[in-house]
Amino acid sequence: MLSRTAEYLYWISRYMERAETTARLLDVGYRMSLFPNPSGYNNEWESVLSAAGAIEGYKNKYDTIEQKNVEDYLFFDESNPSSVYNCILNARNNALVVRTSFTPESWLAINKTYQEILNLKKQKFTKSDLPDLTEWTIEQVNLFRGSLSSLLRNDGYNFLFLGLFIERADNSARLLDVKYFVLLPKPQYVGGNIDNMQWSILLRSLSSFRAFRWAYDGNITATKIADFLVLNNNCPRSLSFCIQNIVKHLTNLTCSPEKVGRIYNNLKDLNTKIQEEKIETIVEYGLHQFVTQFIRKISSVDNEIHKEFFN
Amino acid sequence: MYQSESVIRNHYNNINDWLDQMTSKVILEKNAEAETHFRNIGITFSTNNETARERIIPFDLIPRIFTYTEWLRLERGVIQRAKALNAFLADIYNQGEIIKANIIPKEIIYKKKSFEPSMFGFSPPRDIYSPIIGIDLVRTGPNDYFVLEDNCRTPSGVSYMLENREIMMRMFPDLFHNNRVTPIDDYPTRLLQTLMSLAPIKCENPEPVCVLLTPGPLNSAYYEHSFLSDQMGIEMVESTDLFVEGKYLYMKTVDGPKRVDVVYRRIDDEFLDPLCFNPQSVIGIPGIMDVYRTGGVNICSAPGAGIADDKAIYIYVPQMIKFYLGEQPILDNVETWNCEKEQELKYVLDNINELVVKEVDGSGGYGMLIGPKSSKSSIDEFKTKLSTNPKGYIAQPLLDLSFSPTLIKNQVEGRRVDLRPFCLIGEQAQLSSGGLTRVAMNEGSFVVNSSQGGGVKDTWVLAE
Repeated sequence: MLSRTAEYLYWISRYMERAETTARLLDVGYRMSLFPNPSGYNNEWESVLSAAGAIEGYKNKYDTIEQKNVEDYLFFDESNPSSVYNCILNARNNALVVRTSFTPESWLAINKTYQEILNLKKQKFTKSDLPDLTEWTIEQVNLFRGSLSSLLRNDGYNFLFLGLFIERADNSARLLDVKYFVLLPKPQYVGGNIDNMQWSILLRSLSSFRAFRWAYDGNITATKIADFLVLNNNCPRSLSFCIQNIVKHLTNLTCSPEKVGRIYNNLKDLNTKIQEEKIETIVEYGLHQFVTQFIRKISSVDNEIHKEFFN
Repeated sequence: MYQSESVIRNHYNNINDWLDQMTSKVILEKNAEAETHFRNIGITFSTNNETARERIIPFDLIPRIFTYTEWLRLERGVIQRAKALNAFLADIYNQGEIIKANIIPKEIIYKKKSFEPSMFGFSPPRDIYSPIIGIDLVRTGPNDYFVLEDNCRTPSGVSYMLENREIMMRMFPDLFHNNRVTPIDDYPTRLLQTLMSLAPIKCENPEPVCVLLTPGPLNSAYYEHSFLSDQMGIEMVESTDLFVEGKYLYMKTVDGPKRVDVVYRRIDDEFLDPLCFNPQSVIGIPGIMDVYRTGGVNICSAPGAGIADDKAIYIYVPQMIKFYLGEQPILDNVETWNCEKEQELKYVLDNINELVVKEVDGSGGYGMLIGPKSSKSSIDEFKTKLSTNPKGYIAQPLLDLSFSPTLIKNQVEGRRVDLRPFCLIGEQAQLSSGGLTRVAMNEGSFVVNSSQGGGVKDTWVLAE
């Protein structure tokens, strides 16, 4: 497989994953905007923007934080590199180059999405249309992912999934980083309205709201949620699940065992730690520090993948 | 389709019945379906227009049909021509017999930009310079076919030939149950076999590694590049994916370097090797020509193959056929006046109202004058151009191109068509059982080029 092909495949699934994350964040913001706003409470659209890593860009363009503008910036704006539109555009441009390396169905899934968003972009939307847009995005990403199941299980497949889980690991960790304070034990607020709302933001943005209920019995506690999102291997968006899958698709690569070995060595410690650690220890040590370290590690693995395979 | 005013030619009877039972609602739906299909699979061509960066070529639902006997003659004629063109290239880059025999003046060849001096004394595998040739044909009467031009470099359009058939089979399966249409979907396999049969001498691999070299996504034929490499199962590479080391060509893969035996290039000569051609070129593989000349890789088509489809050389193709093959040409050339010759220039200037004048280096239907359809001012403009730069032009009579039934606003109307079948020459010479039919969608128009509002049709060759 051409190095360039591998790189493009890797980025296609990163972009598609990112499109979904951005859409989910918008959905969360939308839900929050329907709830009464307690005084002194953070502006939820602002935290949506920071979780999407778009706060700076947004503030350069707009003076105030308003739903309509946030929606526009995160969904359609061509100047926001992580807007749903740009993610789909980039994924599609990459797919155009490597369409020979995946199935016609995968190409169709991406190209149809692109054709449709071009049309969506031309239409006028009102605030209440946002759920349709986010639902549409998630559906499109699922179509793409579904089409991958008929791919040959070769290195191309593994590069696609490496991209997917690197992106997801990064997205989940950033989200945790923005909201980590909700998960710190603060007995005076447990069960309070604000916390409930904050937890539900976290879980919903990680598409795990319903799943959490099924995974844990009894009362919702901050520790349980932290455990679910950081260490639970059944949760497809937890940090530990992402790491496991990065390791899996990395070691499944059949090309260049030395390169795979070098990247694996860098990743090994984090993987062991996350599989053995208890959530209480992590919270005690500092959830914020843990997540920051995690983000740094993922980014260094990403760099290594580029250096070893794509150059 | 029509034999005379109202008599339908036999092999179109089925189509006529089919058209009769389609309501205009169905036609509209099918047109929309075809358009969506082409957009979704991405068979678009790029334009410089910012608002519509990707356009699709209008597709006409009514197929164009050739009978088996009609096609047989075209097949023999095109293969004959393709062989002669390759023999010509082998000759002029080696002995130059045709020049010694005073058939073609040497200035016409050696002074051309498309002539490549670095090819002198080198013979590519099997002496095939141009393994994929597209011949543009027009028809003016029941048995009157003329060759409009030869395309020996990197003829495009074959993906339309294949996709047009796919969409027709998908939308109108019954048509294919009722008509015996020769399949064309083996073209990519045959193309790959042709490329593999042209492995360079130093290739030890029983199954040579072929790649398709593309200039990249901005090229107007990019869809075709990715389509063909996908169908052949070979890598589509850009020049940055390739590099030369120790007399061989390699591509950069995740496993490290992998040797490449045959390059099916879809980029122009001057962008192949900055060391040999255009030193300013940033897309190119330094040293590839050296590897090529020492038998480490084959480049298809060969650098310098373009001289064979030059409009000034075109005039001599019938003589080439006699000279190299000892045969009578099966397909005729269009009568052509070479403005470089004084007498012929005089004739052209005197009769310019009746003629089509073309730039020798022009393409895409641009830079030409259709005398009978032009205003006095543009005729005068061309007269000046002709007088100042006569060797830049040729002239031909305006051919009465055949009409093919075409759906225009749900009505069947006649529109002019041409045809480009694709000939492959490697271990054996073969012609696709079909081709790309281009149709001038505007009433009365003679220009079929897609850049100027031309459309395409599925092209059927009926089985024996």
